[in-house]
Amino acid sequence: MKNVSAEKKYMPEMPQKEIEELNSSVKATSAKIIADNIARMKKTDPNRPEGMKYFDEISNFFGQRPKEIQDAKIKGKKVIGYFCVFAPVELILAADAIPVRVNSGWYDTSKLGDRIVPVEVCPVIRSTIGAKMIGLSPYLELSDAVISTLTCDGMTKLSEILSDSKTIWTMTPPRVKDSPQSLQLWKEEIKTVKTQLEKITGNKITAKKLKEAIETMQKASKAFRRLQELRKGNTVLMGRDAMLVNQAALWDDIKRWTEKTEALCDELEMRIKDKAWACPPDTPRVIVTGTPMFWPDNWKLPTLIEEATPQGVLVGDEMCSSDRILYDPVGIDEWTMDDMINGIAERYLMASTCPCFTSKDGNEDRVNWLINKVKENKAQGVIYYVVRGCILYAMEYTRVKKALDKLGIPVYYLDTDYTREDVGQMKTRVEAFLEMLTARVDI
Amino acid sequence: MTELPKEQKEFWRWQEYHRVRNDRNWKNKDVITAGVDVGSVGSKAAIMIDGEMYAWAVTRTGSNSPDSAKKVMGMVLEDTDLKQSDIQYTVGTGYGRVNVPMANKAITEIACHAKGANYIWGPSVRTILDVGGQDIKAIHCDETGRVTAFLMNDKCAAGTGRGMEVFADLLQIPIEDIGKVSLSVDEDPPPVSCTCVAFAKTEAIGLLRKGWTKEKVLAAYTRAMAIRMANLVNRVGLEKDFVITGGQSKNIGIVSRIETILGVKTLPSPNWREGGLDPMIAGAAGAALLGKALYLKSKGS
Repeated sequence: MKNVSAEKKYMPEMPQKEIEELNSSVKATSAKIIADNIARMKKTDPNRPEGMKYFDEISNFFGQRPKEIQDAKIKGKKVIGYFCVFAPVELILAADAIPVRVNSGWYDTSKLGDRIVPVEVCPVIRSTIGAKMIGLSPYLELSDAVISTLTCDGMTKLSEILSDSKTIWTMTPPRVKDSPQSLQLWKEEIKTVKTQLEKITGNKITAKKLKEAIETMQKASKAFRRLQELRKGNTVLMGRDAMLVNQAALWDDIKRWTEKTEALCDELEMRIKDKAWACPPDTPRVIVTGTPMFWPDNWKLPTLIEEATPQGVLVGDEMCSSDRILYDPVGIDEWTMDDMINGIAERYLMASTCPCFTSKDGNEDRVNWLINKVKENKAQGVIYYVVRGCILYAMEYTRVKKALDKLGIPVYYLDTDYTREDVGQMKTRVEAFLEMLTARVDI
Repeated sequence: MTELPKEQKEFWRWQEYHRVRNDRNWKNKDVITAGVDVGSVGSKAAIMIDGEMYAWAVTRTGSNSPDSAKKVMGMVLEDTDLKQSDIQYTVGTGYGRVNVPMANKAITEIACHAKGANYIWGPSVRTILDVGGQDIKAIHCDETGRVTAFLMNDKCAAGTGRGMEVFADLLQIPIEDIGKVSLSVDEDPPPVSCTCVAFAKTEAIGLLRKGWTKEKVLAAYTRAMAIRMANLVNRVGLEKDFVITGGQSKNIGIVSRIETILGVKTLPSPNWREGGLDPMIAGAAGAALLGKALYLKSKGS
């Protein structure tokens, strides 16, 4: 336990009893939501692939995976949490530490976060603060240090707030990608994290270890891409299932995740051969872009899409919480330490389509990524998802809409919050959008 | 029934009614379909014979959707020679669309309002503002009444029928006169700054205390609502012809202010008091029409 006398700049002093009560009630609700999400995913696709079983289990935030990490910790391993997909996972692995993403999707904890920051602040941030207040997130609690990339104002202040009770390593991404200084700055940030990792773990990141880690992640990326490839034709895996597999890469042991994902892909290939579709081939195909969505609570939109009347299917997304996670492998020319660091810096900066960037062409990388996804996955419509307070995604909407309009792809802006109250309204919006896409009723 | 003492009079209460069109020959009843629109405040039903409006009913939504659907269906069948079993296909729409017991299918009110507006006003309609009990929607459609884009306000009753009811009660002006009364001021005062119903109510009470007449307060509130609605229409992209559906289409104070703000006239609504189609039943009408298409499709023709 930390010394109570250590001055806290943000976090309130809460009575232990209140913390415990809140923790157990929110945890109980969350466990129910996890079970309910999975039950509903099974109901949507009664013939759900066998391979999903593994991902259902590993996605229990209060189950096997946190226990494994805890056991590894007892044996001396360090756990490195991170917020954005900017964190160089390869370095964490090379330091023989466990990487795990710690963003929060809990609705109930966002209300606790309101005690510290105003409700205007993005709920992902408020929810993460609330989760820390009551020690809800097993991965955040288990982290020995957390890498926080200062991608937006919310993340910047979140780092400060969490530093009341956590070791936070900030990384500052440049806001412009295509300038020589940017890559230089980012490379320095990567090197700093490398030093911090070596210090906290006591393990030197050697060229040999880093090469191994990069190769591990390249294999994971290959499996990841294989899965996304299988979503381009008629649907054999519902979008929510794919999203869960993608997200599991953020907390699972990555080698095991790769194996299980490859196995799932084998099964899916058989299904394509057998034409065993998960939903009728004429089901309207939707792509989601915008604010990341996190398991388990914030499964609202994908659930609404795939349970709607008329039913839709999420065939892909442009989100850092799903299809973008492992899409890009680190590219290496020569396996020298310097080249590897360069490769890592380039992969995490240049391949990112985060709206935190700006450029003369108006963050064209993101628009192109989305358009390619729409074309390749044969999507009929795009839902632009934004939670209130997520300024960067909200502001980029107009630019993205213009690009999609040019292609004749309908796009619908859907704004919401970490709440269950607006499900009825959202359902009407989603269903009306799907009706529009199907144009199934003719007179 | 004796009249309630004044302070207990329900100023918000609007007319619930049903109507049958017996002015034409309904001998060839090939396809009989119904649309049931269970909104958050009003429930509407329409019966169409071969895609032509035969009967409709408008009532208040009760505490549960299935009962409201049954009630409005009972009303619409009254005075007709039809029974529930004569109806070949029913589409449920509105907020309670999944809880319409007699419905064969549920379709969103957005698709239904577009279709219904196309029926009531004709194929020239491109933009529809539907002001419902608890939400407002701006819809863009093509010449067949198919939705091409839409926007919906967030989960708040601001600028909706329910908000108007609250004000009718607060200011003790019967809801059906509220539009006229709001226009009785010489010049519109500045709009109230809060569109949130709860806050706007507080603000209105403050203005009344300051000595504003209730007409002036109502004008300020109506103007604020109209601005909010016009913004939504502008965001979806205003294209002529433009119509307003839902209960607030009967509020001349709202309609005329929106027209002024947008610089566009709405297509005139049929006179519902004299037997014309009621813009409030656009959703139910659209549902019945889509029901006809779905019925024919299911029969393979």
